[in-house]
Amino acid sequence: MPLLQIENLRKSFRTSSTLGGSGARLVAVNDVSFTLEQGETLGLVGESGCGKSTTGKLIMQLQKADQGRVLFNDTDLTTLSARQMRPFRRQIQMIFQDPFSSLNPRMTVSSILSEPLIIHKLVPARQIRDRVIELLEKVGLTAEHEQRYSHEFSGGQRQRIGIARALAVEPQLIIADEPVSALDLSVQAQILNLLQELQQQHNLSYLFIAHDLAVIEHVSDRIAVMYLGNIVELTDAETLYKNPRHPYTEALLNAVPVADPDHPRPAPLSGEIPSPVNPPSGCYFHPRCPYADQLCREHSPPLTDSGDKHLVACHHSEQVGQYLIRRR
Amino acid sequence: MPPRLVVENLRSYFFTRSGLVKAVDDVSFTINSGETLALVGESGCGKSMTALSLLRLLPEPGRVVGGEIRLDDRDLLHLPDLEMRRIRGNQISMIFQEPMTSLNPVLQIGEQIAEVLRLHKGSTSPQALEQAADLLTQVGISDPGRRLRDYPHQLSGGQRQRVMIAIALACDPKLLIADEPTTALDVTIQAQIMDLLQKLKEERQMTTLLITHDLGVVASNADRLAVMYAGQIVETGSVVQLFENPLHPYTQGLLNCIPRPGHKGLLPTIPGQLPSLREHHDGCLFIDRCDAPSPPCGHEQMQLKEHKPGHWVRCWRY
Repeated sequence: MPLLQIENLRKSFRTSSTLGGSGARLVAVNDVSFTLEQGETLGLVGESGCGKSTTGKLIMQLQKADQGRVLFNDTDLTTLSARQMRPFRRQIQMIFQDPFSSLNPRMTVSSILSEPLIIHKLVPARQIRDRVIELLEKVGLTAEHEQRYSHEFSGGQRQRIGIARALAVEPQLIIADEPVSALDLSVQAQILNLLQELQQQHNLSYLFIAHDLAVIEHVSDRIAVMYLGNIVELTDAETLYKNPRHPYTEALLNAVPVADPDHPRPAPLSGEIPSPVNPPSGCYFHPRCPYADQLCREHSPPLTDSGDKHLVACHHSEQVGQYLIRRR
Repeated sequence: MPPRLVVENLRSYFFTRSGLVKAVDDVSFTINSGETLALVGESGCGKSMTALSLLRLLPEPGRVVGGEIRLDDRDLLHLPDLEMRRIRGNQISMIFQEPMTSLNPVLQIGEQIAEVLRLHKGSTSPQALEQAADLLTQVGISDPGRRLRDYPHQLSGGQRQRVMIAIALACDPKLLIADEPTTALDVTIQAQIMDLLQKLKEERQMTTLLITHDLGVVASNADRLAVMYAGQIVETGSVVQLFENPLHPYTQGLLNCIPRPGHKGLLPTIPGQLPSLREHHDGCLFIDRCDAPSPPCGHEQMQLKEHKPGHWVRCWRY
């Protein structure tokens, strides 16, 4: 049994209209299904507006899905009341992109980390301080940081505090939404290493949401690529890099600038990401796709297993790969 | 041919209430005509402050306290303010990371491009609008006649950056400064914008100072690069020299900590953190993070030294 199983999740929003009209309907997550095993990292990758962050929020029940199920250890979280959901909030934690805005500036690190311990009654009062120091040391900080406020820390240190806060309640699943995209390269490497070490120590499962394919590939066991609210490809990390079967994955891989001056520059993908308020007909990717034909303009391809649990939503997946620029 | 831009021993200091911050400390580089030099480094290394020093637009309480900046042999640091104003947006123009905050939200984009042409080139209003439409075509915006009347909020992030580029190119500048031009954009749009800049560079023989933290962008778009650390250039050379044979331990560390496909497990890291620029340092600024410091590193500042033709490094090992 997987730790987390998402089935046919859908969420739409009504956009506000400037003149007080009813606004248009924006489908942020169209029909998303995947599973996540204990100890596994699933990477969710895509560009702005593809629905990856909304998917994370739907799992946390921070937003209610229009339809679909979120099974966590076989319990459907979408059917739970706020009170019933509480114990699950301990088991699923989130880490956010911006440690500047996700830490309360008026709280010391000690109170940020002890608050969840008190709320969930995890340790007796007299042991709280020891536990806080243990958490700080686990994420590479020390007891001397305990009485400081978040503004006294660098971006990387703040992200460490965010990670310590998530770990405080001993979760099984951590949803990390762009946890390193605000960080400098050398700090990013430190945080990625920390996340990997913690995963091994605690057998954590990660849903790792990011737009950076190099980062996603490095941390993930399996990767789901999203485009305009749908998963277009899902397979293990190595296969996705070596053998992408969806044209969007291929284009994303080509678009990542490679730190190698001899790497050839492919022609960029034409066109912009369409508005999710008014998506194209048929396959949502067809206006930008070099493989598209009449079939793609009319019919949306379902996500199907093309063999070896490699899921692809493309009518021409067997042709994909001819434009891929391989790395040295 | 002499270099288009020469920066020599530039020092820009910030006189803050809590002390002196040496944001740019003895920075020297040149850019030849038609060349792209990338200035690379992490937050706070002084790369943006170097660019703003070139335009004499350092924010308070910053001041250029020493050095020389010459554009085609004109000394920019000692020009009267009025003369300098004729250079900004005309001979040197700049594009920024976030196009939404650098465009005026209540002016149509045609007007924003035309303004530059009227101001610096003395074009009449109808001429300027016609040239603006032409510029929009050059930066890849379709239906330019209609787009001229759009406001910035009606455009996507990628289109806004194209408009910024059109404004920057309006007067055919001698030097374009691009400060993190694609950092706020999605990766497929980033590829389009970098492709456009490359195309314009070839067509116009444009001289560019590209400021970025993304070594991938550097590898595919720059001719030479300068790596900055704590206000100083620690290594400079051609892109091939630095990527294939990085000398400074900081450059080596940066290149090593990029995740590469197929390599799982822990990433190599650079231990420690940036030194405080408020404190006075006698020796090498990288010493606390260096894997093999030697005795002179602690008390003597190393100068940039030419290791191979065109490849300079600030380190005692070489």
